[in-house]
Amino acid sequence: MDNSELQPIFDFMRRLAPFDSLHEQTIKKCCQELTISYYSKQQKLVNVDSDEPQLYIVRSGAFEVTTQQGELIDRVAEGEYFGFSGMLSGEKVVNQVHILEDALVYHLSAKMFDQLRANSHSFDRFFNQAFAKRLRNQGSLQHSHISTARITHIMSRDLTTITADATIHEAAQLMSKKRLSSLVVVNQDKLCGILTDRDLRNRVLAKGLGGDLLVEQIMTKEPTVIEPNALIFEAMLKMSENNIHHLPVVDQERPIAIITSTDLIRSQSSQPLLLIGQIERQNSLEALIQVSQKIPDLLHNLISSDAKAIEIGRILTSVTDSLTRRLIVLKQKQLGPAPMAFCWLAFGSQGRQDQMAGSDQDSALILEKTPSEQDKCYFKQLSEFVCSALNECGFPFCPGNIMAQNPQWQLTLQQWQQQFSKWVNTPQPSALLNATIFFDMRGIYGDLSLFTTLQTTVLNKTKGNDIFLAALSQNALQSTAPLGFFRSFVIERDGSEVKGIDLKHKGNALINDIVRTYALAAGIEEVNTSKRLESLIEKSKIDKEVAMNLLDAWEFIAHKRLTNQGQQFNNTQPVSNYILPDSLSSLVRHQLKDAFKVIHEAQGTIRLKFLRQF
Amino acid sequence: MFQRWWLQYQLKRLVKNSKLNALQDHYQYLLSQLDSPISDIKLLALDIEMTGLDSKKDQMVSIGVIPIINAKIQPKLAQYKLIKIQGTVGQSAVIHGVLDRHLTNALPLQEVLQWLFEQCKDKVIVAHYASLDLQFLQQSLVGAEKQSFALFAIDTLLIDKKRELRKHQSLNTSSLRLNACRERYNLPIYNAHNALTDALACAELLLAQLSKMGGIDKVTLQQLLNKH
Repeated sequence: MDNSELQPIFDFMRRLAPFDSLHEQTIKKCCQELTISYYSKQQKLVNVDSDEPQLYIVRSGAFEVTTQQGELIDRVAEGEYFGFSGMLSGEKVVNQVHILEDALVYHLSAKMFDQLRANSHSFDRFFNQAFAKRLRNQGSLQHSHISTARITHIMSRDLTTITADATIHEAAQLMSKKRLSSLVVVNQDKLCGILTDRDLRNRVLAKGLGGDLLVEQIMTKEPTVIEPNALIFEAMLKMSENNIHHLPVVDQERPIAIITSTDLIRSQSSQPLLLIGQIERQNSLEALIQVSQKIPDLLHNLISSDAKAIEIGRILTSVTDSLTRRLIVLKQKQLGPAPMAFCWLAFGSQGRQDQMAGSDQDSALILEKTPSEQDKCYFKQLSEFVCSALNECGFPFCPGNIMAQNPQWQLTLQQWQQQFSKWVNTPQPSALLNATIFFDMRGIYGDLSLFTTLQTTVLNKTKGNDIFLAALSQNALQSTAPLGFFRSFVIERDGSEVKGIDLKHKGNALINDIVRTYALAAGIEEVNTSKRLESLIEKSKIDKEVAMNLLDAWEFIAHKRLTNQGQQFNNTQPVSNYILPDSLSSLVRHQLKDAFKVIHEAQGTIRLKFLRQF
Repeated sequence: MFQRWWLQYQLKRLVKNSKLNALQDHYQYLLSQLDSPISDIKLLALDIEMTGLDSKKDQMVSIGVIPIINAKIQPKLAQYKLIKIQGTVGQSAVIHGVLDRHLTNALPLQEVLQWLFEQCKDKVIVAHYASLDLQFLQQSLVGAEKQSFALFAIDTLLIDKKRELRKHQSLNTSSLRLNACRERYNLPIYNAHNALTDALACAELLLAQLSKMGGIDKVTLQQLLNKH
C-alpha cells in the first residue's frame, strides 16, 4: 500500500455498498478523489450547491431530506447517501437537507460518480432509481435447484412427431429407428395425442391387432401436457398424480418437446415430491402428523438452496394441498361417499399459493344443494376432522374462524353467490376488510366445477365495479410500507420510529392487496400474486413497469422474510415475520427501502385509479 | 487586539530575518492572512511520529500532511514521508508502527525539511498538541541554520482545552487526547496510529471545532494562530 493512502478512509469505503463491489484500485482512486467536510447541527441545513452536484457519503452523523414544504423524504445515517437523485435525473436539487446530528461527510464529484456508474454495472444499478434494474438478476436469486428448475432446462429440443393418419406400423418403425419410447401425434402442427410403447403393447399387440391400424385409433387423445415454463417439480407432480410417464411440453398448443419420467429422475430426486408421495401413501392421521413434521425441514432446505420465494410458496402450498386432500380422502373412507357434490375451498395464502412458515388455515365448503340434517352431520364430521388434523400437522386454526368446520362457511353455491353479492354490491370498507381473503380462493378437492362457477359469478360482479373497487382500494391503502431505516430503527412514513418491521404485513400483504384490486377490476381468474401480475400485463391492465417492479419487490421482501425465518429456525428461535434493521447489511437496507418505495408508489397509483384521489 | 498586533510584529521581524526562502514565504503568507476567515485560507494538517518525546535527543521518524483547501480536506494532496534516523527506532515502534526495516529507503532529514517548508510556503500549519511537533522541527532547524526560529500553528488541542476549561473547573489531560476530543464531536475513532492517519484525524477535528465556533467562514486566522 502506498504510503500516502489514508487507511481509515479506505477501510470505510471498501466495506460500503456499492463501493464494496468495485476493484480495490477503483476504491483507492475514490478515496483519493473525495473531499471531506464537517457539518454541525448548529448550521441546521446543508448548503447544497445545485450547480455543482456531488454524492454525499455520510461517514458519521445523521441527516434528514425533506421537500421544500417540509415533507419527510429520507433519513440518512452513517454509510448512507444523499445528493445522488439530482445527478441521476439531471434535474436541479430542490430538496432540503437538515443536519440532525454533527456529521462527517465525504463528497464525491459528479464527474467521478458518473465515471463509476459508467464503469460498474453494479454501482450504477445501486444508485439507479429504476428499482427493477436494481433487483432483477440478483446473483443470490439465480441458483437453480431441482424443485425450482424449469422444464425448459431439461427438455431436449428435437421432437419427433407423427400425424394422426399414419399407420401403427409406420409409428413403430419410427420409434424403433429413433429409439423412442413415445411419439407426439400432431394434426396441422397442433398436438392431438400421444402414442407410447405401452399403448402399442396394451392396445395393439395384447389384443392381437395389426399394424395397419391408424395412429389416431390407438393414441391417447388430449393427453396431460405441461408448459415449458412450469417447474420440473410440477411435471413430477402431474406424472405421479396421473400415473403417466410421458408429458408433452406444449407452447401455445404447439408441441415443442416431450419429457419422460426418466428425464426427471435423471435431474435428481426431489425432496418435495418425496414428501408429497409419502403423504399420499399414509393411511392414518398419526402417520400424516409424523410426515408433516418434515415440512419445516423442507422449507429450511428450500431456503438454504436459495430458491425463489415465489417458488417456495408454490411448493409449500402443494404440500398443504396434498395433505388436505389426503385427510379428506381418509375421512371419507370411514364416513362413506359424500351425500352430495361439494368442493373444499382454500382462501388467503393457501389460495394464493404463497404459504410460508406458520401459515394458518383458511378454508370453506361449497355444497351442491341445501343439506338435510343428516347431510349437515356428514360435513360436520368431515370438516372437523380435516381442520383439527391440519392443526395438528402444523397449520394452526384460523383465528377469525374462517374454516370449513364453521357452519357459517358451509354454504351452497347459491348462498356463496349471495354472500359475495353482499360484499361486492354494498361494500362497507370495514366489513370488506375481513372479507378480502375470500377473494383469493382456490378449489382444493371435490367438484371443482362448483368453484369455477362461483369464481365466474364473483369476477363478473367485481369487474369494472367502481364502488366495490373504491372500497377495496381504501382497504389496500390502510397500511403503508415504512420509509426506510435509520440506525437501528425503522422509520414509518409519518416519521415515527419503531424497533423492527413486520415484512409480511408491511410488505408482501400490501402488494397482495394492491394486485388483488387490479385483478378483480379486470376480472382475472388467477389468485397467485405473481400470476395475477403476469395476466394483468398480458391483458394490458397495468403499466408493465409498475407490475415488474411490484413483482421484484414482492420477491425481494418475501425472500428476505424467508431467509430471516431460516435464521430464526437455525437459532431455534420462534419463527416470525419480524426483522430487526440491525441484522441487515447496508446493501439489503437500501434494497428493502427501494422495495418499500415501489409499494408506496403503487399505492399512490391505485389511489388515483380507483379512488380518483390526487 | 493585542494578540493581532503581537503576531504581526513577530511575523514581520521573522520575514526580515529569515534566511530560508521557503520559511520567509510561509511567514509572509501568515502575515497576509491574519484577518482572513479560515475558509479562505489554505491549511496543512500535520503529524510527526518520533522515537521519543524529547526533541533534544529523540528523532523524527515519519511525517504525514494533509491540506485543507476551500474548507474541505483534500485526501488527494495527502503526503507521507519516512525520515532516515541514526540508530534504531527501538521501543517507539510499538507506538507508531514504523520499524527499522521500513526506514531503509527513508529520506535524509534535510531533504524532508526542505520538502515540508516548501509545502508550508502558502499554508498554515495545523496540529494536535502542536508544540511537540514544532519543537522537533525547530530543533532540526537549529542544526541546519545554526539559528532558532519561532514557528506558528493552529493547535486543535489548545482549542479544545479552552472550550473545556469554560465548561469545567479543571481538566484531566487524557480528555484532550486526539481521540477523546474527536469523540466529543461525534467523529469516528481511527485505531491505526500513523502520522498520516493522525494528520487526517487532526484535520477533521479542526473542521468540527470551527463549526462549533460559529462556522469556518466566521473565525479568522489571528483568533487561532499561536506561536510555539
